[in-house]
Amino acid sequence: MGAYGLKIKRAILFMAAVFIFAGLSPKLAHASPYEGYTYSYWGETVHSPIAYLPSKTITGQEIGIGPWSSPVDMFVAPDGHLYVLDSGNGRIVVLDSEWKAVRQIKGFQNNGKQDGFNNPEGIFVTEAGHIYVADTENRRVVELDGSGAFVREISAPKSEVISSNFEYFPRKVIVDKAGRIYVVARGVFDGIIEFDSEGGFTGFMGTNRVQFDPVDLFWKTVSTKEQREKLIRFVPIEFNNVDVDLDGFIFTTTADKQTSAPVKRLNPSGIDVIRINGNIGPVGDLSTMRSAFIDIDVSGNGVYRTLDSTRGRIFTYNEDGNLLYVFGQLGNQQGTFKNPVAVESSGNRVFVLDRDQGRITEFVATKFGSLVNEANGLYSIGKHDDAAKLWREVLRLDANYEMAYIGIGKSMLRQGEYKQAMTFLKLGNDREYYSKALTKYRREYMREHFGIFMTVLIPLILVVIAVRRSMRLRKGELKQDAVSQGG
Amino acid sequence: MRFLKEARYSLHVAFHPFDGFWDLKYENKGKLRIALVILLAVTVTMILKRQYAGYVVNYNHPLELNSIDELKYIILPFLLWCVANWSLTTLMDGEGKFAEIVIATGYAMLPLILIYLPNMLLSNVITLREASFYYLLESAAAIWFVWLLFIGTMTIHQYTVTKTIMTMLLTVVVMGVIIFLGLLFFSLIQQIVSFVYTIYQELSLRA
Repeated sequence: MGAYGLKIKRAILFMAAVFIFAGLSPKLAHASPYEGYTYSYWGETVHSPIAYLPSKTITGQEIGIGPWSSPVDMFVAPDGHLYVLDSGNGRIVVLDSEWKAVRQIKGFQNNGKQDGFNNPEGIFVTEAGHIYVADTENRRVVELDGSGAFVREISAPKSEVISSNFEYFPRKVIVDKAGRIYVVARGVFDGIIEFDSEGGFTGFMGTNRVQFDPVDLFWKTVSTKEQREKLIRFVPIEFNNVDVDLDGFIFTTTADKQTSAPVKRLNPSGIDVIRINGNIGPVGDLSTMRSAFIDIDVSGNGVYRTLDSTRGRIFTYNEDGNLLYVFGQLGNQQGTFKNPVAVESSGNRVFVLDRDQGRITEFVATKFGSLVNEANGLYSIGKHDDAAKLWREVLRLDANYEMAYIGIGKSMLRQGEYKQAMTFLKLGNDREYYSKALTKYRREYMREHFGIFMTVLIPLILVVIAVRRSMRLRKGELKQDAVSQGG
Repeated sequence: MRFLKEARYSLHVAFHPFDGFWDLKYENKGKLRIALVILLAVTVTMILKRQYAGYVVNYNHPLELNSIDELKYIILPFLLWCVANWSLTTLMDGEGKFAEIVIATGYAMLPLILIYLPNMLLSNVITLREASFYYLLESAAAIWFVWLLFIGTMTIHQYTVTKTIMTMLLTVVVMGVIIFLGLLFFSLIQQIVSFVYTIYQELSLRA
């Protein structure tokens, strides 16, 4: 009896220990102010480990240069310095990777006169270190050299195709390797304004198409002229942000919540060449309250991050348009934002600029995040076998990660493990590559089993022929009997 | 043996519809139980198809498969079709009885089994490039089914071609009307029930 009681006691103690541990472990996951998730092939949200965690927040005071007043843009220069455009104060603050203010640019000498910025909204730094600022309220783009000295200004485009009452408010600016300047301006529906390297207007590129809605068309046809004039005009959606990748392709975002393609990748002739693998493109959250992308950041290997202002989330996609991970949220904790306006990245760090709070949040990749980044990097340059090793690590952390299954499946397909490749590609829901693996597997299977098939098939055919012949013979005999009886 | 013979006759109907449906009506060769067995077999085939069609052509979310749904998508439309067709043809001088309509419709569904089952097996060894063969066979089954239904309706009711087409189209409309009336009926019943319940509640609380 005593021993039995002890056993029960022990069992209870053991159970209690299990419950304590079970109760503790989720708390650790809640160290982050947001939850990690991705979308499955079927468009369902799937929990996933958190890829990036907030590591630091920085404000102007903390650096010792006075608070930032509604900063709206920032840029990570090729040398690793972070350029923050402090719009309210009309200055540019340059920070190094240790978050020390290297210098500030508050104004410049323009033809002997002191000049400055008026509510600038966009900044870009070239490889040579030249700074381009979209000086919005001064209606011009200003180019400064690396030391902050004035080089030139590019004012409103002049052309016959532009109407005379056109108000030019440049918001974002980028410069490609050839020195062409692309400007996104407020209220311009014709696309991105393109200037040549001399600053002469060359045209618009990448116009968004007007969305067609049969219901609207119906009302338009039945309404009178007066009614029609009161309807909202159908105009294409304007771009709200741009970035350029190393190959000179321009990524654009639109904040419109109706469009199915809020992200575009424009080639030099202005055609959208974004890759969408599967049935869901880079649209952010798949809910009735759509995401509104307000900034895009292109990092290496074709990976791009979009910043959603609806929920304050950063969506990271790979070059095939597959969602890799999501992080960030609106809120009041560290790692959440009030009014995020810009996203930039440098190595395994991501920066998000909050306009209302005037601060930058730095995110650092977790183990999961850096594994995914590394695996995707190898995957995108075609090193499937090396990537597969990392994808297996990813799967140990998140067994629902479809990209990992596809990655491993593709590597198995290359190694000739067709049967296994099929299993993995099915788990990753990649029908195209599954089909490829099936073709190979089928051929292999037939080659191996051809002999058996034929040895079974040929006797089978012979037996069938023999049976049919004998049946026909018997029928003939019966007929003959009937004839002889009748006769 | 008799059952097998009757089952074999349904094959005859599928391959020789004019002759088959005629004998079905005037020689009493159609059996209600065969029609119902075919209906059941079609339901099972559809369930199997959703589950076991090859991955390359199977776009069903495995977690959302529900065999009860097949009742909604096959047995309910079947019954609706028969009722709507009968209600319509009694008004339009059709010669068919209700049982004959059920039998003809049931026999007409045989091609769905005949093609879907082998097609399902085939779909497991085809690739995306050959998927169009799968879809071709699928549509062939559907066309064959509609063709048999057309001949069946025409023979059962002794209609002309145009009248048959008109009746079939109208039957679809009547099916919609029946669904509408059914929903209306249910929503009214629901309101009556909740009304009576409210009165009961009020009385019981006051007492």
